Amino acid sequence: MNEPRVRELFIEHHHGALPPAEAAELRAFLAAHPALQREFDEFASTLDALDAMPIPPPSSRLRAQVLAAIDAEKRATRRNFPAVSEVMPPRSIVAPRRLPWIWLVRITTACALLAVGYFVGTRKPAETVVASDATLAAGERVSQRELADLRRQVEAMNRLVSDSLLPQPLRPTNERLKTVLASASVENPNDRIINELIGSLALDPSANVRLTALEALYPHADLEVVRAGVLSSLPREQSPLVQVAMIDFLTAARDRAAAPALDRISRSDTMDRNVRAAAMRALNQL
Amino acid sequence: MLAVRDGDLDALGELFERHHGQLFGYLVKFTGHRASAEDITQTVFQRILKYRHTYRDTGSFSAWMYHLARRCSADYFRKTASAPVATDPLHLVEHADESPHAGQHEVSRDDHALLKTALAQLDQADREVLLLSRFRELPFVEVARLLECSVGAAKVRAHRALRQLRDIYFRLQENPLS
Repeated sequence: MNEPRVRELFIEHHHGALPPAEAAELRAFLAAHPALQREFDEFASTLDALDAMPIPPPSSRLRAQVLAAIDAEKRATRRNFPAVSEVMPPRSIVAPRRLPWIWLVRITTACALLAVGYFVGTRKPAETVVASDATLAAGERVSQRELADLRRQVEAMNRLVSDSLLPQPLRPTNERLKTVLASASVENPNDRIINELIGSLALDPSANVRLTALEALYPHADLEVVRAGVLSSLPREQSPLVQVAMIDFLTAARDRAAAPALDRISRSDTMDRNVRAAAMRALNQL
Repeated sequence: MLAVRDGDLDALGELFERHHGQLFGYLVKFTGHRASAEDITQTVFQRILKYRHTYRDTGSFSAWMYHLARRCSADYFRKTASAPVATDPLHLVEHADESPHAGQHEVSRDDHALLKTALAQLDQADREVLLLSRFRELPFVEVARLLECSVGAAKVRAHRALRQLRDIYFRLQENPLS
């Protein structure tokens, strides 16, 4: 064992990954070379510090999104495989059933059906017309009833959504957060949902809810109303975290209308220094 | 993972629970950005799901996962080289300020912050090999396979990276504002 070889093994030795015999040999070599032992101790302290670096836990969103992707894949797998096997049976199964005289049978059957239809039509014309009128009227009544049911369901859904989105300070924060997360998961939110998200961003007492609402608004940053809502909420915002997030939002949206407000923030002495720094960066990028 | 490949997708949920914390920790240290680490972790598991049929039982699952993580990280660094990165609120305290005060000096002396700064100053390839070498389930044989080099070369690179990290770390400890 020589010095370069020992240095090569530092990391594994510190890890305890060396075979016992090799580890013993390395320890003996280090004991005989105090300078190398000091070097190893320095490396060990660096590695210990590296291993002890605190890592914040990932957000619950990560787990939710990965598990949702797995569920979606499971559903797709369940849907696709039987469908493919049912709709497209192998050609080897279908081919033997194609008999040469099948076309003759089909043409004969079609002619017979046509003849029966003509016979029935000429024998009872009046009854048929009456019957078809009654059928049409009944069909129309059913359609109107179904339409009314659908309208009621849509209205109920609208009420439910609007009730759940209305600012309710007395509701616990986690429930308000869930509501905002639910709105964020709506693929094509209507104006009302967008407005309520902006309302949550501007008025909700919890910074977490405001941050989540802002995140939910990211996919709609191209809307003028969303950018204006974030911009008008910015001066009222008290939390530096949310302020910085809003500035990032406006920067990502390339909203040049935000420049005067950002300029004011960057010059304000009362603002948090991180917020001022973020505003300055945003101004440079805009 | 073999079960996942054979269609048992519930097993991927278990793999996620078992491995995502460590992968996320590695990526936080590697990218220095929590939100990006979370995005990359998510992408890695999405790719595992998408490419599960290509999994071969030739190495450990961890090695395959870090192989995918390596690809995703490369994509991330390629994109962020030209695009602005959103501010991570957890890193606010580390932003440079033209008017430092006593609190700033206090923060700079924090060992973890210093080490994080030192890690960020390492070359990307050195940071990668050093962090990969810290995983117990990734012996140098696997690290070498990931980095497409010999085992000896992987050890030498890891040692060199560690030496650089130590030098930067000690320099910062002596002069936090350097």
